Amino acid sequence: MMAVRRAVDTFAEWREAARELLVHGIPPEQVTWSAPHMDDLLAGGDLFTGAPPAAEASDNPSIPPPPTEPPDEPLRPAPHIPRSLMEMLQAAACCRVPDRWAFLYRVIWRWQQGEHDVQSPADEDGARLHAMVKAVHREEHDMHAYIRFRERPEEAGPPRFVAWYEPRHDVLPQVAEHFVSRMGKVSWMIATPEASVLWDGHTLHNTGPLVRDAADLEDTGEALWLTYYRSVFNPARLNTDVMHQHIPSHRWKNLPEAKIVPQMVSEAALGARKVGQYEAVGQRKGTTIPIAPDDAQPERQQPSKLDECRRCELWQFATQAVGGEGPKRAKIMFVGEQPGDQEDLAGQPFVGPAGKLLDRVCEAAGVDRDTIYVTNAVKHFKWEPRGKRRLHKTPVQREIEACHYWLDKELASVKPTVVVALGATALKSVLRTANVTLKDSLGKPLRHEGRWVVTTYHPSYVLRVPGEEAKRAAFNTMVEGLKLAHDLLHRPTETPDA
Amino acid sequence: MELKDKLEILADAAKYDASCASSGAPKRDSVDKDGLGATNGMGICHSYTPDGRCVSLLKILLTNFCVYDCQYCVNRRTSNVPRARFSVDEVVKLTHDFYLRNYIDGLFLSSGIIQSSDYTMEQLVDVARRLREDHQFRGYIHLKTIPDADPRLIELAGRYADRLSVNIELPTQDSVTKLAPEKSVHTIKLAMGSIRARLDEKDDHPKAPVFAPAGQSTQMIVGADASDDRTILHTAQTLYGSYKLKRVYYSAFSPIPQSPSSVPSAPPPLLREHRLYQADFLLRGYGFTAKELMPAAGNLALDIDPKLGWALANRAHFPLDLNRADESMIARVPGIGLRTAKRLIDLRRLRRIRWEDLSRLRCSLKKLAPFVITADYKPAQGAASSDLLRRNLADAPRQMNLWPELQAA
Ligand code: SF4
Repeated sequence: MMAVRRAVDTFAEWREAARELLVHGIPPEQVTWSAPHMDDLLAGGDLFTGAPPAAEASDNPSIPPPPTEPPDEPLRPAPHIPRSLMEMLQAAACCRVPDRWAFLYRVIWRWQQGEHDVQSPADEDGARLHAMVKAVHREEHDMHAYIRFRERPEEAGPPRFVAWYEPRHDVLPQVAEHFVSRMGKVSWMIATPEASVLWDGHTLHNTGPLVRDAADLEDTGEALWLTYYRSVFNPARLNTDVMHQHIPSHRWKNLPEAKIVPQMVSEAALGARKVGQYEAVGQRKGTTIPIAPDDAQPERQQPSKLDECRRCELWQFATQAVGGEGPKRAKIMFVGEQPGDQEDLAGQPFVGPAGKLLDRVCEAAGVDRDTIYVTNAVKHFKWEPRGKRRLHKTPVQREIEACHYWLDKELASVKPTVVVALGATALKSVLRTANVTLKDSLGKPLRHEGRWVVTTYHPSYVLRVPGEEAKRAAFNTMVEGLKLAHDLLHRPTETPDA
Repeated sequence: MELKDKLEILADAAKYDASCASSGAPKRDSVDKDGLGATNGMGICHSYTPDGRCVSLLKILLTNFCVYDCQYCVNRRTSNVPRARFSVDEVVKLTHDFYLRNYIDGLFLSSGIIQSSDYTMEQLVDVARRLREDHQFRGYIHLKTIPDADPRLIELAGRYADRLSVNIELPTQDSVTKLAPEKSVHTIKLAMGSIRARLDEKDDHPKAPVFAPAGQSTQMIVGADASDDRTILHTAQTLYGSYKLKRVYYSAFSPIPQSPSSVPSAPPPLLREHRLYQADFLLRGYGFTAKELMPAAGNLALDIDPKLGWALANRAHFPLDLNRADESMIARVPGIGLRTAKRLIDLRRLRRIRWEDLSRLRCSLKKLAPFVITADYKPAQGAASSDLLRRNLADAPRQMNLWPELQAA
């Protein structure tokens, strides 16, 4: 058995090499991975893996590995690695651990052997893979968050902004992309101990490692930032643990605000803690605003009496009460159940899909909807939460009773000749009894308190009922109901109850 | 007054607003474009102050002059605080300069009410318009909406801002009437409703002009009135359902200088705020309802988190067989989060779940032990009383690492 040595520096190189090794079926134990630029530095010693350089290893990465398998064993098909795994491997490759290439190869090898749980954090290798990816993403995130640019004087020429950062993993390339997208045509440079990038406003340039300039730039912007940082802090909530939890300690030294934190903490601990105000603000001269309470009131429409109704609990969960709408002396009054989601927002009855259907019913019955007064038995939308939506909930008798107060007022002022009850709730409300069913009264007009009452379906029922046939039938029932209501307008009231 | 002095006053005055997130905006970038700014939908916290809260936006008031007299607010007209007012230019410049130095992801702008609601709203909109149109700023903008403002101004605000918010501040109508006499829950709800109507319109007609792509949010102050957590959560649930809010922020009331006697002189425990955030997260992410979490009046327990509280009160669902239960129930197990629930489901397709898997997935084993069954584990505490379990599982007084090091990969 022959050991193989692979020297790679980048993920692309590793991927090439790994593919080749997989095709030849070479198990991870037989491969020694190294990074050539590190090798240069270390004069060949394999310091990172701790393994002595394998004497029989092929040192030149461009020479394909010698066939290690018996000649009768064919090459294996090229691996099919799912994208999600590939992305994880690519991210993990940025993690500065000495055995990164060997580890990645081990993962991909196991996957290829059918051990697909290698990708799960519940697997030992999987857990490590996830941890490496997480560390890399965390580093990217930290760099996005905690890089601080300083502005250079215009005379100095580009770059206008410079930042120094000490990343713990190899994330500079992707982080540079982030700042390219953020800074537009403004030029900047990010220097790190290993490498630096310069953006001239149009193109990224990789420059070599930089040593941090001892004399930091003066930047007036930074003074304002510190002012801001100090003032948004609420001393009454002093909680340094959480602060330190979020920003790891090694990050603080390059953050300008780190210098003022100890003072802020001690001031807060010394007493400013009682009130949330920042000390410097508290020391200034204050002013009250001389304005009479009445003049401070915003101009707004007085809420209607209906909106102030507290006869039942429903108002609490609705946006507004929805009263009736239509001609003040309409001959026909539609009574629905309650406003729905859209009616609740619009403050008008029947503006949603049910309202549209009602329009079509009127049209089919040859009745002008604008001559009809439309209202609901209950004026506030009753609903229950279903995920992020409001699901209509049928009002109970107690609520119907409570809200009848308002329907009564509407009946008394509009004085309709015919009331069309849309659905069971409306019927219960209009007849003021819980002991009626829709089925028994459909299509049978009755006299109640000196008016005709016609019962038909609620438009939502027509929208909801399954099957085209049933929908059409329900729609026609509504049309018939409306026609009947219209005919009743001309029927002498002495006609005995039907 | 110097810019620095104004910044001091107007940042100080804005810090009582808990909203800070810069997430949810559509992806934008400035590659090869004039102007500045990018959003990637995720939002970044650029720093943390010693109160443990993040800095992700330049959060300031346009002015802290205010004609209202809300008792919980440091800027109320009868409060004796130093007052200042930024010019539109100053806000634009500060936002720009801070953004270039990577201190912030954008701007959160609020204001005291001056002259009239419309006038104040116009000023706020003007800042956003100038940033977007004159300076091609593509960073995040969050505008606090003045509830009584003309809906046309709110519509305009939504054109420029990523997020709009209308703060309800107090969870009940009674408290608003008492502590914020110039405000009205009715108009606040109407403003939220009009924002939702616009958001719906945009959903239904994708070609409609942009409108607050990061949605709307609100804030409730905790502990300034007597409302209990149950009321607060029910109000939150009502707001989420009715107005498609992205977030409800909870802000523990901070005593303010020369506090009026109508509000408490001591803050509520910050842990209460924390529990509300946890419960809120369960409402938004886990499909819990406020009624499930808080079946009776009162506050959330401080010694255990709300999910554990629910599990202890609903032992009939447990222990739950992790090899059979569906994802949403697994996510209800204390110590197992949404992500772990999903990972368990994924793993279950490959093999049976064993106790060791839970440990590798870094679940809180102590917490979940009484509530799960795996291929090789059944809880011994099956019959233990909820009280006993609670005593065992309650949070130890919290001790946090001062300088937690990154775990080596
Ligand atoms: S539903 Fe009717 S009775 Fe109940 S609060 Fe609303 S208007 Fe009043």
